[in-house]
Amino acid sequence: MTDPITLEIIHNGLRSITDESFIALMKSAYSTNIKERRDHSCAVIDLHGRLIAQAENSLPIHLASMWGLMTAVLAKVKVSDMNEGDIFVANDPHVAGGTHLPDLNMAMPVFVDGKVMAFVCNIAHHADMGGMAPGSMAGGMREIYQEGLRIPVVRLFRKGEIVQDIFDLLLLNVRVPDERKGDYFAQVASCRLGERRLKEMAQRYGSDVLTTAFEEIVARTRQRMERAIGSIPPGTYRFADRMDDDGLGMVDIPIVVELTVGNGRIRADFTGSAPEVDGNINLKINGAGATVAYAIKALLDPDVPNNQGVLDVIDVSAPEGTVVNCAPPAATAARAHVCQRIVDCVIGALAPAIPTLAVAAANGANTTAVLSGIDPATRQRYVYLETLGGGFGGRATKDGKDGVQVHITNTSNLPVEAIEMEYPLRVESYGLIEDSGGAGTFRGGLGLRRVVKPVGHEAVFSGTGERFRFAPWGLFGGKDGKPGRFQRREPDGSLTLLDNKPAEVTLTPDQAVVMETPGAGGYGDPAKRGADAIERDATSGKFSSDYLRQAYPKG
Amino acid sequence: MSWFIGVDVGGTFTDFHCLNELTGEAFVHKAPSTPDNPARAIVNGVEAVAERLKIDYAQLRRLAHGTTVATNALIQRRGGKVALVTTKGFRDLLEIGRQIRPHMYSLQEDHPEPLVPRHWRFEVAERMTAQGTAETPLDEKDLSKTAEAIKAAKVDAVAVGFLFSFLNPEHERKAAEALAKALPGVHISRSSEVQPEFREYERFSTTVLNAYLQPVLARYLADLGDQVGKLSDKIQIGINQSSGGLMSIGRSHRFPVRTALSGPAAGAVGAIHVAKLSDRPNVVTLDMGGTSADVALIRDYATDTAHDRQVGGFPVRLPMIDINTIGAGGGSIAWFAPDGLLKVGPTSAGAVPGPACYGLGGREAAVTDANLVLGRLSQRGLLDGKVALDEAASRKALQPIADRLGFSVERTAHGILAIVVANMVRAIRTVSVERGHDPRGYALMPFGGAGPLHATDVARSLGMKEILVPPAPGILCAQGLVVSDLKEDFVRTRRTPVTAAEAPAMTKVIAELSAEADRWLDAEGVPSGDRVATLTLDMRYVGQNFELPVKLPSAALPDAKQLARLFAAVHELSYGYANLDAPIEVINFRLTAGARRPEAKAPAASKAPAAAPTPVGRRPVYFRWEAADDTPVYRRDALLPGHRLQGPAVIEQLDATTLLYPGDSLVVDAAGSLLVEVQP
Repeated sequence: MTDPITLEIIHNGLRSITDESFIALMKSAYSTNIKERRDHSCAVIDLHGRLIAQAENSLPIHLASMWGLMTAVLAKVKVSDMNEGDIFVANDPHVAGGTHLPDLNMAMPVFVDGKVMAFVCNIAHHADMGGMAPGSMAGGMREIYQEGLRIPVVRLFRKGEIVQDIFDLLLLNVRVPDERKGDYFAQVASCRLGERRLKEMAQRYGSDVLTTAFEEIVARTRQRMERAIGSIPPGTYRFADRMDDDGLGMVDIPIVVELTVGNGRIRADFTGSAPEVDGNINLKINGAGATVAYAIKALLDPDVPNNQGVLDVIDVSAPEGTVVNCAPPAATAARAHVCQRIVDCVIGALAPAIPTLAVAAANGANTTAVLSGIDPATRQRYVYLETLGGGFGGRATKDGKDGVQVHITNTSNLPVEAIEMEYPLRVESYGLIEDSGGAGTFRGGLGLRRVVKPVGHEAVFSGTGERFRFAPWGLFGGKDGKPGRFQRREPDGSLTLLDNKPAEVTLTPDQAVVMETPGAGGYGDPAKRGADAIERDATSGKFSSDYLRQAYPKG
Repeated sequence: MSWFIGVDVGGTFTDFHCLNELTGEAFVHKAPSTPDNPARAIVNGVEAVAERLKIDYAQLRRLAHGTTVATNALIQRRGGKVALVTTKGFRDLLEIGRQIRPHMYSLQEDHPEPLVPRHWRFEVAERMTAQGTAETPLDEKDLSKTAEAIKAAKVDAVAVGFLFSFLNPEHERKAAEALAKALPGVHISRSSEVQPEFREYERFSTTVLNAYLQPVLARYLADLGDQVGKLSDKIQIGINQSSGGLMSIGRSHRFPVRTALSGPAAGAVGAIHVAKLSDRPNVVTLDMGGTSADVALIRDYATDTAHDRQVGGFPVRLPMIDINTIGAGGGSIAWFAPDGLLKVGPTSAGAVPGPACYGLGGREAAVTDANLVLGRLSQRGLLDGKVALDEAASRKALQPIADRLGFSVERTAHGILAIVVANMVRAIRTVSVERGHDPRGYALMPFGGAGPLHATDVARSLGMKEILVPPAPGILCAQGLVVSDLKEDFVRTRRTPVTAAEAPAMTKVIAELSAEADRWLDAEGVPSGDRVATLTLDMRYVGQNFELPVKLPSAALPDAKQLARLFAAVHELSYGYANLDAPIEVINFRLTAGARRPEAKAPAASKAPAAAPTPVGRRPVYFRWEAADDTPVYRRDALLPGHRLQGPAVIEQLDATTLLYPGDSLVVDAAGSLLVEVQP
């Protein structure tokens, strides 16, 4: 047994290692996704593939890849066959524990006294992984082969020496290989920093003390989670929701979950969810597990450390070949949309059991807008990509936040001035959508509206919307939030409704695209909304007097 | 004879550092703060100092002042009522911000509500383009309607923020003038003046904060000016800015937001001063007080400048000394997390009730309690016994934790200190890695009341070999104020490719900045021979979204090739790689202007030290938890240049206690600082 003080100091040291590795990777990478959106994670993993510590700013979905990657590495290579200085890479969701191809995963064994003591791992979203479209994230593809290069678990370094044949193969298959090379080396540098620091730590404490501490850190987190889960009355909880569509013609895609809670554990069974779809929103089962873990942690104990102890209390199952447990060669680039819906389902299922912790459905999407064209000033092709936030759900004690990223995503917007300096575009307005939050004792947050038009040229708009048909639901009598939509404003000012996942819509300089993201559901009976809150809704102008009269007749 | 006085107003104490400009003679003073009216403690203190030094008020030349009035007003939300006037279509921008949540996993935490409620955010038809041309003219009718509405709202201040005003301030200027005319007595801040920089949300947020603070600062500064003026009309008052330079009262009225982080900035300036006197160009500072610790990296006697900080939950974009703050201080409380691990901080017992040993009703064990039971702090108390410490109370507070751990109180206390040290070590590592530096090549300079108590453990964990304890660690901020310069930052955002063809355009921007700086220097009465200026370009590779500041070797613009090389060097240091062939662009041109001060010189080494210093007493001190070492206690003022000590030892002075561990040794250098050699 390690005493709680030494354990805290070791735990602190491990988090310090992952945080430093995280910063080192961010600092030396090329991809905007890593540098500025921080779409990367670092972790320390034990000999059995269990997650011991993860960098503080790591993304929830990356928990799945760390776990998946190590399972794949250990299944393929015996620990006794590993050498000091080996580094493994992989990205494939179907055979190597990834969740989508742009996330490139790396793992390095850390040797102490001639034996593997642990692994350091990292994940980074590369700006391109090859495939049919630049960025390796586009819709319209039906198979993973089209989405990009699939990498099983392979050694990129052997005994500290780069395996050049492999590296040449990897780089030949991506766009702008020089930049990707920089990203690979950033990940390698991050691994090596983690390795060095972990060895220093082993020198100070001895590897026995450290491996014992690993066990205890995970055990303590697991016990903490078990206690937290103990606050949910044991029982079985179900919820069903639907995705709008997959972008390739499949609509009304059910996501169904049955949660069985008891003995400090939660079993999540997704039987009844849709078969996998042609479009690219399919998820692997480890992604579903990480998403359920996010939802449970967020509901019960947001500050619990991110380690195996969180995952260990959750069992996830789904029939193979479903949208939450897809089989090869399903396309997976936009799996984040299904993740968002899984979060809504888990919260929806548990809401009756833990009403004060639950929140109404948030905008439930990862609304994406892409405008591209040829800049008339430079004759160069440009691609402007952005993900937009929306409403956050009403809560037991307060309104949902207006215009914000929700659940598994938390990326910044691009400043209006940056957009206009960088691209031949004009942002006409950017604001909250009146009346878009569902009424309730505590109302849902408002969606966002952004109006953009091309300047001096013809541009092409593509987008991905969700909860454009199935509104974010209210909770305990709260009303639904308003769904989102994409529209094109015509020269005469009239509006044409676009698809939910429009591809290649032409925009002339006298047209504009009007993007509206979903609001969020309200919480509790609107009749119980305080007069001062209704007054605030009116004064702020966030709600029209018509809406307020209708939603709160007595108010 | 002329004296400079630095005054640092803290939550509990107001510190004074007085320096005779000619003789280098220095004097320090500490007085209780008067939070209801901070000016009172300042004036009382100045009177006390003048009496002690037997000087006439006319001999006081400059009063440099670091103030927390703005910071506190913000934290306590006591600023003015503010309206915002902005470009049509964008009144929600201030509320949306960057559309992110403060905590990835929390379903309950939100960023704070904006300081301007939505119904006081007014839109006016106007539009500038990314080229700085007016696409839609300013709608005067909209504007006068808005002025009427604002008048009816009875606000104290108005912020004006239009898109692309950093490129062309014409519309903002016109609007601000019209509003000033229509709204007599109302403070007006416009974004093109507060911080004319690219990225609208951060610029508007900074401008709104400025407007919010204007009414509070205006009242305070008027009061301070009056009261100090009564003593003597010769005293020049300088207000410290977050960038580490002084500004006049007049400018502070207009730009109060620039004082929001002035306290820690003064500490860094003081640390640079001390580092110079001791010939230590590379230093990590650790300013540990009651509630938090500030960490900064000094390289070649200079700190980095940061531009983005959160203050009171809001983003501020202004030049600031790059300082990282963590919740680790003498008042940090020990507690058990739900997983049973022992944690220390960030919650602090503050000054009231304070740690249990203060006897003011604090029941929870804090870092100071741990130091007391281990004999590291004297039972006589702080400030030469003015603040008595009750060891029994500390033991009582620590006992439940010790019981739960099954440890002795001493082992528990030792563990608490180890945890608070681990927290600081983690912060220093993060800051160093982020800046591309290895702390092992640096000396550690602890200051603040609690810094020197914990420095050895921090240094040892980081592999740092030397600790530099300043002569007066508890009032280094006030000392930094005395040695601060008049300083002002000027900026222009002009996105310009780094090519030979663009050189004339760049030279023109720099000339504009220089002219602006000269106007300011004229107004401040700085003689031309004393003027200094540095030019910094914020540059990036074309396609990147964030810039890196590149300090130029002189105020003249180097050619494009040289600029590319300078940028590559900075990129290499920050990100670990550089590409000499990739196209580069400048986003911001920054000019920092100021008045030169005479270089710091160490006081002439006084006579060789007499006999070895004699301890004033001995007490058992637990350096290890297992057993106490019988340890000599020295008075700091008995340690003279040239003296050497071998650990264990405790060195006490008015405002700080320094620990010398068994096996470590120290020497007092010519400047009176303690240089501790740390055994690995």
